[in-house]
Amino acid sequence: MDSFSNPSSASSHQLSAQDLKNQLKNQLALEYAQQFLETVSGKCFEKCITKPGSSLSGSESSCISRCVDRYIEATGIISKALFSGQR
Amino acid sequence: MDLSDLNSSEMQKFYSEEQQRAMVNEIVTKLTSQCWDKCITGTPGNKFSSSEANCLSNCAQRYMEMSMLIMKRFQGMQ
Repeated sequence: MDSFSNPSSASSHQLSAQDLKNQLKNQLALEYAQQFLETVSGKCFEKCITKPGSSLSGSESSCISRCVDRYIEATGIISKALFSGQR
Repeated sequence: MDLSDLNSSEMQKFYSEEQQRAMVNEIVTKLTSQCWDKCITGTPGNKFSSSEANCLSNCAQRYMEMSMLIMKRFQGMQ
């Protein structure tokens, strides 16, 4: 149970509700980030690495960085379309 | 904090808030993936064209509309 011990007061093994909340939040955020990374890799590989060569070309690299930026932007557009209520 | 506090009303509230947040994230993630495939057909540029941005936005809204329709359709079958 060491990973659940209180980081803010290592001496006591008392876990406060706030610590538990923070740990759960961190865990969820990490999981979300991992999933996002995996999705973006898949999408951008498909778009940018159409014929894998012996190394990543400059144009492939720049495509990848544009693709990642656009994917993040797309996520924002989708979430705005769903939740800002403008139809 | 002892184990019984895990079910305190404060923690219950926290769980349901986080659950809701996770659900929202999941929907956004899923729709982004699907709408990306539908709307972004060329190689990604330095910015979205207005038609790409509109397509993404419409795609998300139509998906929700469709889900409602399908739900109603199923309810009508019972």
